[in-house]
Order: sequence, then structure tokens, then C-alpha cells
Amino acid sequence: MSTRESKPDILQGTLDLMVLRTLGTMGPQHGFGLAQRIQQISGGLLDLNQGTLYPALLRLEHRGWVRSRWGVSDNNRKAKFYEITAAGRRQTDRESEDWARMVGIMDRFLDLAPEE
Amino acid sequence: MLGMWRRLAELVRRRQLDRELDDEVAFHLQMLEEQFRSRGMSEAEAKAAARREFGGIAQAQETYRDGRGLPWLETSARDVRYALRGLRRSPGFTAAAVLSLALGIGANTAIFSPFHALLLRLLPVARPEELVTLYQTGGWLKGYSSYPLYQEVAKRTDLFSGVLARSGAAKVRFRDWPGARENFTQREFVTGNYFRVLGVRPALGRLFTEDDTRAPGGPPLAVLSYDAWRNRYGANPAVLGSTVEVEEKPLTVIGVAAPGFRGIQVELRPEVWVPITMAEVSFQSTHSGWLQIVARVRPEIPRKQLQSAVNILMRQHLEATNPTSYNAAFRKRALEQRLQVRDAGLGLSTLREEFAKPLRVLMVAVGLVLLLACANVANLLLARGAARRRETALRFSLGATRLRLVRQALTESLLLAAAGAAFGIGLGVWGTSVILRFLPEQVGDPLSARPQPAVLAFTLAVSVFSVLLFGLAPALCSTAVQPAAGLRSETSGAAGTPVLRRTLVVAQIAFSVVLVVMAGLFGRSLFELRSVDLGFRNQNVVAVQFDFPREWFHRDIRVPYKQLAEKLQAMPGVVSVSYGFPGPFQMGSVSATIRVPGSERTAAEPAEVEMGQVAPRYFETIGTPLVLGREFDRNDMSSPRSVAVVNEAFVRAFLPAEAHPDRRFLSFDDSKRQGGELTWIVGVVRDIRHYGIQQAPKPTVYLPVDQGRNFGLHTLLVRTALPPMALLPSLYGVAPGVALRSFGTIRRHVDDSIFEQRLLATLSGFFGVLALLLAAVGLYGIVAYGTAGRTGEIGIRIALGARRGQVLWMILRDSLALVSIGLALGLLASMAAAHAVGSILFGVKPSDPATFVFTALALAFTGLAAAFVPARRAASIDPMRALRHE
Repeated sequence: MSTRESKPDILQGTLDLMVLRTLGTMGPQHGFGLAQRIQQISGGLLDLNQGTLYPALLRLEHRGWVRSRWGVSDNNRKAKFYEITAAGRRQTDRESEDWARMVGIMDRFLDLAPEE
Repeated sequence: MLGMWRRLAELVRRRQLDRELDDEVAFHLQMLEEQFRSRGMSEAEAKAAARREFGGIAQAQETYRDGRGLPWLETSARDVRYALRGLRRSPGFTAAAVLSLALGIGANTAIFSPFHALLLRLLPVARPEELVTLYQTGGWLKGYSSYPLYQEVAKRTDLFSGVLARSGAAKVRFRDWPGARENFTQREFVTGNYFRVLGVRPALGRLFTEDDTRAPGGPPLAVLSYDAWRNRYGANPAVLGSTVEVEEKPLTVIGVAAPGFRGIQVELRPEVWVPITMAEVSFQSTHSGWLQIVARVRPEIPRKQLQSAVNILMRQHLEATNPTSYNAAFRKRALEQRLQVRDAGLGLSTLREEFAKPLRVLMVAVGLVLLLACANVANLLLARGAARRRETALRFSLGATRLRLVRQALTESLLLAAAGAAFGIGLGVWGTSVILRFLPEQVGDPLSARPQPAVLAFTLAVSVFSVLLFGLAPALCSTAVQPAAGLRSETSGAAGTPVLRRTLVVAQIAFSVVLVVMAGLFGRSLFELRSVDLGFRNQNVVAVQFDFPREWFHRDIRVPYKQLAEKLQAMPGVVSVSYGFPGPFQMGSVSATIRVPGSERTAAEPAEVEMGQVAPRYFETIGTPLVLGREFDRNDMSSPRSVAVVNEAFVRAFLPAEAHPDRRFLSFDDSKRQGGELTWIVGVVRDIRHYGIQQAPKPTVYLPVDQGRNFGLHTLLVRTALPPMALLPSLYGVAPGVALRSFGTIRRHVDDSIFEQRLLATLSGFFGVLALLLAAVGLYGIVAYGTAGRTGEIGIRIALGARRGQVLWMILRDSLALVSIGLALGLLASMAAAHAVGSILFGVKPSDPATFVFTALALAFTGLAAAFVPARRAASIDPMRALRHE
């Protein structure tokens, strides 16, 4: 199918994991709310182009990790709500482990002392 | 899989999804704006800040859309739409390209259909590749063996895991049930192991076993083919145990063979199989060949070893069955017989023996036609690509990748090929039916024109192959454009024409040369065949064969013939009626050994002659000139004096110096040197080519039909002043119990006998003309394109004082060079091709100078004519206009 998906981009991968983790802790959320929450968790350190969230959400939906439906927001407006699926939770766990392992490996490299 | 459906759904709901995304983005922006306004920003500031925070809206939407649906499908759909638009804009180009391809693909489909049926399709039996036939040669009847020989072969279980024998399928009278209307069917006698050796299972009931053919005389059983069961009995299972009548003999149906199994001879489809022991033949005779032997070879036996083992077997058999006490001439000929091991996995076929080579030739010819068509389309595409250089350059500068452009160009080619294939299949089916119409009656029936899956697959493969052939190079060439240079230059920029296009035209001319030479050779070959004196003039004489009730055969079959002839003679419009064996161009042959007293040829040992049996007015009816003496009259028929009419070949062979051979005699008693009982020669007739145009006439002796024993199935010959078909109704009901077996003018039998040559001449003629046309179009195109690019240059030349003639010559010289190269290459290839088809030519040498000269002239003329039109247009250009144009 699409060649884009089979080419995991490191940045793309991290955004997917952030979205999954956030949705996993929050319950159904619209795109704006999700963006706010990610910004908030990152402590504003992340320079997120909020528009990029939507292609990411579509991607996650195609893989069956996220599902969406139309609903009404707090201020009574029509909005699309996203929710994590069971498969999405499993994927979150897998990716979290991968991520932790990667971080561990990177740490070892960063801790390398100069050899005598 | 679920994802796939989802994506397809997204594809369909494209517009709605776009709207939904817009809504989502609008909501997001609104929320951001509100947030910023609540921090005290002005409306405009909040709006700008929201957009900043969100990032590129268009990019987000673009990425989103790309991720949605099936991008490759959407891109392809876009390419198809783009290509369709382009093709619609230039209908002339589209029509020319599709027509070329349709002709190329159609011709291939048309020829491949019978090619596949006859030369590629394996029999629907178990492991067909293990089957061989033991083909008897060198004797009297080609391909057929005696029952004792079959039994010898069948004993060799060390070589074969099974050996079966079958009589050929024969057209016989049939009743679907006792009392039903009589009709004809194809009946085949088979050995009991026939179905077991082939590995064919019953669809219903049981098939024969070895027990069914233990001893001659029975049992009266029948197995039906699946097709017969469906067509005649509506697939009713009650047919099991019922009775059918074959040649008036009641047989019990015990089973129906598996669907798809139609016997092992390609061009004949038996409907009824009968145990071989039911055949009324002499099972002991080693000299009556009536069986085809098919065997399943043990996998471990190499073919070479098999052939030498069979040779030894055959030699021993012949030595044992032809003792030295036999007539020396007969024994010599008998011992020359051989058994050839031939592959039988494709089924047996007498049609294949004659038709395989012509079919292969035609297959190569249509391959050339396809190459020509592809070259033509490639040329058209290149011209189109050149005309689009600016567009291509523009699209490059706008950021299109070369891959995208190549893909678009190939999409266009694919569409052309698809349209070509669609028309081509139609043309192919029609073409196959035309080809089958050339085949003799019945033989063509099983080679149906309905496209088989294999044929369609072939057509598809040919189409894809042709896309690669004609589409790829132009796609690569026309996208090899430097954006800047392409935009700057005028129409084409190049003064000359690209090497590729010139090469293509040279190739086109070379291919056409080969096809035209073939057309010439086959055309001349047919002409030569048609010019042969067949020995009779009245080709519109109707030849009729009847089938009679069985009991008539026990009496003298010649009595009803005489009665029928008299009845027909009395019919309106009938000029004369006669009958005899074998009719001109009818099956059957009888030979005898004779001595001619006083002839050197038979002084030492007797000689073999062909025999015929004829009624009075036979030669008059078919229009054979009498050279000397007279033909038989009524008195000869009943006279006790033995008389004979001989042909000129007979006189040449036996009485070359005799001025009056019609006063000499011959003797069938070959044991005595000077002959025993004598037969008087009363007349000499022109040689009749009974057995085919290409068969040299053999010495033949005709006897009065009522004298001596009957030779075989007579043919009634009716010369009528009315159209032949007018006879048909009265023939159907000519006498109770008499069935019309075959009916047709001698001309049709003559045509049938040379159907390969007629087919080859007709088709190769068609392909030759087609090839000339395609080459002309190619040359025209390249000259027209070349001169269009040189408008300015030509204008300057004329302005500087060049005469029109000089300009014309300058352009024609160029085309002449292309034609010459193409001709030279083509003639070389033609010589090789002509040599390869030499064996199927008649009366014309492969190196026939007239054909080659004619081809060269035809090509040169066509080429110059095609080049002349655009050249003249270029030469008559107005210099002022041309220069302003620049």
C-alpha cells in the first residue's frame, strides 16, 4: 500500500506514542484538547505544529489503535472525539518498552568514559 | 484486510471526508483564537496567533489527504484521466495507434487459437506427457497398424505400462434409441483398456475393461462421451442400461466418460466408443491396417532405447508375417514398414501433420505484424512526445519528477494497448472463424473459435509485451528533456530526426519486406497449384456419397447404385450421372500388381498400379478427355470379356513406344511372366489427380464397375445445369433407408485438399498489404515530421535560389536511404525465411527471383510514394512565410 507507513520516521514515531499515551490517560478527546494536553505535559518545551496532529490521528485510526466519532464539545460545538482502542493500548505498551530500551542504550553511549 | 475496506470506503466518501476535516480544523482554530483573545489579544492578533500555533493548514490537509484512501489508486486514476484527456484531444493519433495495435493483437489471437488447440494443448488425461503413438510408416496405410501387431506391442510390459488401440473415429449411422430418427455420429472402436491406460474416469456408470474385449464378436456395449450425453440425452442418467443403435446394431450404454474428454484425436470428436471386438474386420490379418496404437511409456525408459526396441519388435513381426513364399514385390514393400515412436501427449492428429508447418509460419508472420504495429505506435508516440517537449519541460520546471512523467506516458500506452486488445480480441475471434472456414468440413469443428482461457491469457501477455515494446522507449525519450532548453526551443529544436525513429522506420521496412516476400511466395505457390491440370474439367460436378442399410451390403451394393443413378438421371436439369470408386479427390485407394505382356517394365517382375472402378459415362461426366479409344459403355458392364481403361501415366510407364496402347492388354495374374487371363485395354484417358494436386499421377487401371469384386464406397457424380444445391432436397429422400453421407462439388473437395496453401496465400497476402501500409504510414510520419522541423532551413534554401526539384530531391534522398537500408536488411532476412518455408512451397523456388524483384519494387514504390507527399508539401513552401514563421 502506501510506502509512507513502512518508513518509520523517528519524529513521527514519537508523536504517535505521545498521542497514544495522552489518549490512554485521558479518555475521549478532540484534536484541540489533545494538542493542549500534549503542550501542557511537555511543559511547553515541545514546538508542536498542531496541524500535524490530524494526519497522525488518521494514521493511528487506519491501524486500528484509535477510533473517532462526532460529538459535542464543552462549549456546545460539534467536534470530533478520539479515543484509544484496546489494540492501541497494547501498542502503547509495546512502544513504551521499545522506547525505554532505546533510551537505556543511548544512555550507555552517553555515559562512555574516554578510554585511556 | 479491514484496513483495505476502510480505505476503499474513504475513497468513495472523499468529498465528505474533506468537509469533515475542514470542520475539525475550523473548530481547532476557533478554540485557539478564543484562547488567545481571553489572554487579551485583539481579534486580528488572535487570528494570526492561532494560525501560527496551528502551522501550515494547507500542508496538514495535503498530508492528511495523502494518508487517506489509496494514494496509488488515486494517482493512477488521475493519470488515466489525464491520458484520456490527451487521447481525446488527438483523435487521429488515437485511432491510428489503436487500429495498429488491434490489428497486431487480433492477428496474433486469431492464429494462436488454432495453434494452441493443435500444437500446445495437452490431452485432458492422466500424465499426457508419458503417451506415445506407434506410427506405422513405409507401408500402404500411413499411421495404421494391424490387430496382430497391436497384440505384439501390447505384450511389451517391460517398455509400456499400458498399450491401447483405437480405430479412427468414423461417421456412422446412429439412433439415439430404438425407433428414433436415424442420424450420424462419430463412432470409435477401442480396446478394453482404452480408458484405464488414459486415466479417464466415468462421469456415470462404468467404462470398458479388458474383460470387454477378450474375443471378437462382442459384447454389444457402448460408452458415450459427456458431450453426447448432454446434447443427445439432456444429461439424463436414465441413459444407463438403455439401448442405442449404431449401424443398426443395438448396443447397451454402460457409462459416460468424464466431462472434457473428447477422444485422443484433436480434430475428431467421437461420441460413442464401442469395444474393438465388435468391429467386423479380420482380426487375424496382419495386412489390414486399421488401428492406431497409443502407449504409456514406463518413465524409466529413455526414448532412444524405446525406438530401437520397437524397431527390433517390428522387424521380427514383419519377418514372421511375410514368409518368403510371398510375391517378391509385395514382400519387399511389406518389409519396408516401420513403427515410429511419436509423442502423443497433444493427441493424435492428421490435421497437425499437414497444418503444423503452415501454422508455425503464420505464427511467425503475425509476430512480425505485431512488431510492425508496435514500431508504428512507438513512432507515433515519439512524434507526439517531441511535439509535447514544451509541455514536458514546463511540467519539469513546475516540479514534476521524471518518474511521474514516465508513469503518465506509460499509462497512456497502457490505455492504448487495452483499447487495442479489446478490439483485437474481437478481431481475433472473427479471424479464427475465418481461418476455420478454410479448413475442410468437420475437421475444423473441434477447433472452436470461442476464445479459450489460454488464448485470452496469451492475448493479455501479447498486449503487455507490446506496451513494453512500444511504450517504454518513447516514455523515456520524451521525458529526457532539459527544462530550460525545452522551454526555449521552438517546436522541436532539432533539425534532423532522432536516431530511434529512423531505426524504427528501417525496422518497419525490413519486417514488411519479409512479409511481402512471404505473400509473394505463397501467392505464386497457390497460383502454380491452381494451374495444374487435374485431368477433369467439370469441377462443378456434384460428388455424393450415400450410406445404405446394412443388408444391402450383403447383396451386391452396385445394384442400388445403378438404380440411384438412373433415378437421378431423370431429374430436371441433370446432364449426366455416373459413379465409381474412388471419386476424384475422395478418400480410398486400391492397388494391384499386374503384368503387361510385351512391356519391359513387367518382364522381370510384376508392377503395382492404382485401381479404379467406373460406370459408363464416368469420364464424360467429370470432363476427362479421352486420349485414345473409348470409355466403357453398357455392353462392357455385362460382357464376359474383361476390359480396362488406363491413364496416360500407365502408357508412359508400360507402353511408352506403343502407338496404339488401346489395342494391347494387361493381366492381373501376376504369377506368369507373359500373363494369364488377359484384360483388354479399350481406351486411354488423361491423368486424373485423384489423390491431390501435389501427388504426381500414378499408373492407373480403370475397370467397369460391374466386373469383378467391389472395391469400396462409390461416389456418385452428378453433372447438373442447375445450381448444385438444388439437387440436395431430392437427394435426401432419394430412396427409403438411404442416408446422404456427404455432398459437395468436386471443386470444394479440390479446395479442401489445398486448404493450407489457400489459407497461407490469403493470410500472408493480407499481412503483406497490411505491412506495406504500416511501413508507409511510418515513413510518411517521419518525413512529415522531419520536414516540419526544417521549414526555416528549406525557406532559406529556396530564398537563396534552390530549385523546388533540388529541395524535393534533398528530402527524398533521405527517405531513399532509409528504404534502401530497410530493403537490404529485409531481403537478407527474407532469404532465410523463404528457405525455412521451402518445404511447403509448390512449383516455386524459395529464391524465386520474380518474387524478390517484385517485393523490392513494391517496397521502393510504396516508400517513395509515402515520402513524396510530405516532401512535395515542404518543397512548395513559400520562402517568405517560412522565414516569418522562424
